[in-house]
Amino acid sequence: MKKNHVIIVTCLLLVISGCRKPFEPPAIRADYNYLVIDGVINAGTNAVTTINLSRTKNLNDSSIAPKPELGAQVTIEREGGGSFSLNTQNNGSYTSQALNLSATAKYRLNIKTSNGNVYQSDYVPVKQTPPIDSLSWKQDSVYHDVTIFAHTHDPQNSTRYYRWDFVETWQYRAPIEASYGVANGLSYFINPFDALLQQYNCWTTTASTTIATASSEALSQDVISYAPVNIVKQHAEKMMVRYSINVRQYGITKEAYQYWQILQKSTQQTGTIFDPQPSQVIGNIHCITNTDEPVIGYVSVCTTTEKRLFIDYSQLNNWFFKPSGVVCVTVNSFQNPVDFRIINYPDTTFTIYYYTSGGGLVLTKKDCLDCRRRGGTNQKPSFW
Amino acid sequence: MRYNRLCLWMMLFCLLMGSVTAMAQNEKRITLDVTDITLLRFVEQIEQVSPYRFYFDAAETDSLRITLKLDKASIDQAMQLALQNSVFQYAVDEQNHVYITKKYRIQTALAPDFFDKKKITKDPVAEPILVLPGTDADKDKLKASLEKKLFEIGPRTNNIGRGNAILTGYVKDIKNGEALSGATVFVDTPAIKTVTDQFGYFSITLPKGRHTLRINSLGMKDTRRQLIMYSDGKLTIELEDYIASLKAVTVSTDKRSNVRSTQMGVDRVNIRTIKQVPSVLGESDILRVVLTLPGVTSVGEASTGFNVRGGAADQNLILLNDATIYNPSHLFGFFSAFNTDVVKGVELYKSAIPEKYGGRLSSVLDVSTRDGNSKKLSGTGGLGILTSRLTLEGPINKEKTTFILGGRTTYSDWVLKQIPNSEYANSSASFYDINLNITHTINPKNSLYLTGYFSHDKFKLNSDTLYKYGNQNAILKWKHIFNNKFFGVLSAGIDRYDYAVSSDIYPLNAFKLSYDINQTHFRTEFNYNPNNKHSVNFGLHSVYYKIHPGSFQPTSAQSLVLPDKVPEEQALESALYIGDRYAITPEFSLNAGIRYSLFSNLGPHDVYNYLPGSPRTTGSIIDTTHVGAGKNVKTYSGPEIRVAMRYSLSANSSVKLSYNTLRQYIHTLSNTTAISPTDIWKLSDANIPPQRGYQVSLGYYHNFSQSIETSIEVYYKHMDHYLDYKSGAALVMNKHIETDVINTRGEAYGAEFMIKKTEGKLNGWLSYTYSNTRLKIDDPIAGETINKGNYYPANFDKPHNVNFIGNYRFSHRFSLSLNAVYSTGRPITLPIAIFTQAGSQRVYYSERNQYRIPDYVRADLSVNIEGNHKIKKLAHSSWSIGVYNMLARQNPYSVYFAQEGGVIKGYQLSIFGTVIPFITYNFKF
Repeated sequence: MKKNHVIIVTCLLLVISGCRKPFEPPAIRADYNYLVIDGVINAGTNAVTTINLSRTKNLNDSSIAPKPELGAQVTIEREGGGSFSLNTQNNGSYTSQALNLSATAKYRLNIKTSNGNVYQSDYVPVKQTPPIDSLSWKQDSVYHDVTIFAHTHDPQNSTRYYRWDFVETWQYRAPIEASYGVANGLSYFINPFDALLQQYNCWTTTASTTIATASSEALSQDVISYAPVNIVKQHAEKMMVRYSINVRQYGITKEAYQYWQILQKSTQQTGTIFDPQPSQVIGNIHCITNTDEPVIGYVSVCTTTEKRLFIDYSQLNNWFFKPSGVVCVTVNSFQNPVDFRIINYPDTTFTIYYYTSGGGLVLTKKDCLDCRRRGGTNQKPSFW
Repeated sequence: MRYNRLCLWMMLFCLLMGSVTAMAQNEKRITLDVTDITLLRFVEQIEQVSPYRFYFDAAETDSLRITLKLDKASIDQAMQLALQNSVFQYAVDEQNHVYITKKYRIQTALAPDFFDKKKITKDPVAEPILVLPGTDADKDKLKASLEKKLFEIGPRTNNIGRGNAILTGYVKDIKNGEALSGATVFVDTPAIKTVTDQFGYFSITLPKGRHTLRINSLGMKDTRRQLIMYSDGKLTIELEDYIASLKAVTVSTDKRSNVRSTQMGVDRVNIRTIKQVPSVLGESDILRVVLTLPGVTSVGEASTGFNVRGGAADQNLILLNDATIYNPSHLFGFFSAFNTDVVKGVELYKSAIPEKYGGRLSSVLDVSTRDGNSKKLSGTGGLGILTSRLTLEGPINKEKTTFILGGRTTYSDWVLKQIPNSEYANSSASFYDINLNITHTINPKNSLYLTGYFSHDKFKLNSDTLYKYGNQNAILKWKHIFNNKFFGVLSAGIDRYDYAVSSDIYPLNAFKLSYDINQTHFRTEFNYNPNNKHSVNFGLHSVYYKIHPGSFQPTSAQSLVLPDKVPEEQALESALYIGDRYAITPEFSLNAGIRYSLFSNLGPHDVYNYLPGSPRTTGSIIDTTHVGAGKNVKTYSGPEIRVAMRYSLSANSSVKLSYNTLRQYIHTLSNTTAISPTDIWKLSDANIPPQRGYQVSLGYYHNFSQSIETSIEVYYKHMDHYLDYKSGAALVMNKHIETDVINTRGEAYGAEFMIKKTEGKLNGWLSYTYSNTRLKIDDPIAGETINKGNYYPANFDKPHNVNFIGNYRFSHRFSLSLNAVYSTGRPITLPIAIFTQAGSQRVYYSERNQYRIPDYVRADLSVNIEGNHKIKKLAHSSWSIGVYNMLARQNPYSVYFAQEGGVIKGYQLSIFGTVIPFITYNFKF
């Protein structure tokens, strides 16, 4: 009986879980070089619009950074006349002056790339984005992942389609609170209350990488409730001290909503046997000089609203941090006879932990003492 | 004819033991003058002028030539002269029966003291019996005796008249009295052939006189009957199961049905073959066997949706005793909806679709169920790793009424709970199905057949969303035989398929989405056989559809979900058909039929009118027309032509040609490549025209020996108004589906090669199919073109397919089956570039279906072990042990690209990525 049980379970596991392994597409090595437009024309008061231009990369290009498109001329054009040009930052990012676009007009984006090609978006009406009513979060009972939800409504019932992006900031700590820092090879004492010198508490900030959209199409009122904006997976360090998320909301048109939906479906859903077919995303920007050339991106014109949420570790249940693998071993050494402040231990991954009486010096891994070594800043953000 | 078998054996015994030679009495004088004729002709002439009736094996004696002149000779004189210098002996009994035998002379009377020794109260009926020498098994003797017995059809007359007589009757399984459908009943000279219908009934018109009637049925031993047709009459023929003998197999007649039949592109599979094929988790599966037939492919192995000759999965009409099954799968498609213990056989029509079927473009899969054992109450069952089944069958009152009731269920739900992995803690899956058939014979002319089918599926796969779906079918048929030449079947039934998706984890969004399709159908079907050249079919078929295309309802008090309903759709589809199977000459025969179908989409319905000539979007709706209840929204109609012809090149080979046009008024909407239970069936309406198609096919058939059949078929198919979807189409709760679909034009062509061995210890088939299916968007109002309006491969286009199914029977109790499959990978849309948007790297996809996933290769092996064959036993049991995917190849079911932490990663997903062992215990009582 026991044996049968095992066989059944094994078979079912094999059947239901299937088998997933990496797939390296053999065919695709051709150099496609399509223009990609990313950004929103901001119709807020004194608002700066930033548009990022880049080129597609080959699939076997392992670099993370986009390939920027430099030297293009980018303008925002108002239907019926008037245009504002954007200034190049020489990193593919193009920004406008502080603008006050008309809420009733339509705008489009014009791009002339350095190779002479001209790209143009359709004229897009300006959408007014209602404020975010609240943000909330919830831990699911199985994995204890944290999902952050947005709630909003439009009393005019006119927004209907929403998109969110966000900036996350979280506090984390070094394994050991350091009493000494090292500058120019000399140690100095750190007062734990010195906000500028402390290296125990750090903050990291990242932008969203997922697409979150929702629509109230099917509802009687333009109310969005529990629209998932972000999921923080169990074990993430993000929640170990305190976590904050600043969600930005965009009211978008139905067409823009469809564009983001297709983009989300093609690249963000995981593989299940019921997946829809991937499809070519077709935005509202066209190449005027070569109509066959695909252009990627969708230009929306809208105001934006924001809201921030904090989550403390103490509010969570069953949140377990998986250590990064850094082991804080200590090494005993001697103080420098010339100047005890000189720290020149041969293994540079070690730094001073504390001094002992009788000329002793105890060192440990820098990673254990300085939280900045993992990318964050030791300066507390203003909103914290 | 009914025998008391015991009595018969007694008689045989007696005849052998007898010692008194029969003496002919009342000799009739015979006058004849014949030159170089066969014994058959000779005895016919004697039979015409005398009361003697002859019994002998015509085949055995056909080398004997007789030349003689008789003048008022006695029968003894005549026979002595005729058989002199030959090995044949004769004997004449008191009833003027003359037995001609080889070498041994028959004894025609019993020992005088015989009845004193044995107490036989019943007077043995004087059936003419031949006793054969040798030590064959008893059953063979019985069979041989039935085969050599001369059946007299109609009242005996001294002179056999001229003209034709009609023989009608049933072909049944000797074991349980089940009707055998699709059995071929034929005589060789003149070449006349008929096939039994779904009730095992046949009607054959033969010239009066002597015939050898041959009967072949798939999986049964071939047999023949010696007949003298005096006038119209009836004959019930019982066939035995075909079980390969351990000794050399000698009993066999020609299997020529694939060469002889006018039908082409038809595959018949009997349940024995289905049960031999190794299956996933040991559960025999009809659809998986169908997938091994030439011209049939599937998008993936976990899908029981299938594609026939380049048709979409929704272009197959799946019938269970004429009831339409909309979703033929269970448990994510791992199992098919048909319980193999209840199924009798499967027929798949791929090209020459009979005129009585319509409404789908590609194929008809006709699954017939058994009537139940008419002789005794019995049962069958099976225990597998995931499923169990039990079937009961038997007579209700004295062979007049029989029933069969089958049920299946799974304990996968319980198994899922046992998995110590949190991934499945939130999962559940279960299904069951029930089949019921009742057959009632009111009298020899009237029979009633009731079929019921009910299935239910429920699953939740690691999410908070619960899926449920089910089929419900009921059909009642009344068969009436007007006379020997004319019979009809009247049937009526209801079919329903529904599904529901629900989630209630977030009270504000708690919802239930439900869908159902209902159809009420009525059918009359008549068959008229005026003579042996014509067989006419005609009838009326009517279906009333009622679809609730979607209802979206809140399921909690706080839920903000606005109740929404896509308006109901209703339509009436009717068709009149007539067809004739016409044997123009013995070599050339023709099946010609026409079906005229009329489809009316009926109100109440709000029809959106779009700006003419511009792409259909919600923005291009100009106004809405309301059509009242019962009024026509839109009517489509047209003739469908079904022609097939066969020309025999020789007794072993033939050429067939067929041309079919078809129309389909109901479409599946599914944005996934696999059939999912949440597919929407949509009726044609003012904005969605019916799919239309035609197919031309040509085939050559050749039988090399008695059991090896070969065939080559080529086809070309064209489809119009096939629905493909726009990018990111939203199909659920869409009230204007025409804005998300695109009319495509499709064409498919291919060639199918098959070699099949039907009998012997080794049997099975090998098939190779080359096919190509392409689609093209040429709809001016599509708004977007897929692949710039060029032809692109359909999702299910798989050019090369090789299938092998083989079974080797080592003994009566032990057999080995091997199943091997190769096919080209299906087309996919591949990512071709990476771009960064919304903070993450994303993929840019190629044009639709420009690449392919790796080829599919799989082999399965199973061993079937039967228990001993003792007749007196509580239950007969068998074990099926095997491995699925013996090569452990990770065949990709799907390939997908997902973004993980800002980087694009490609994955391939295999459903059965390793060797899957299985074991199933089957029993019968």
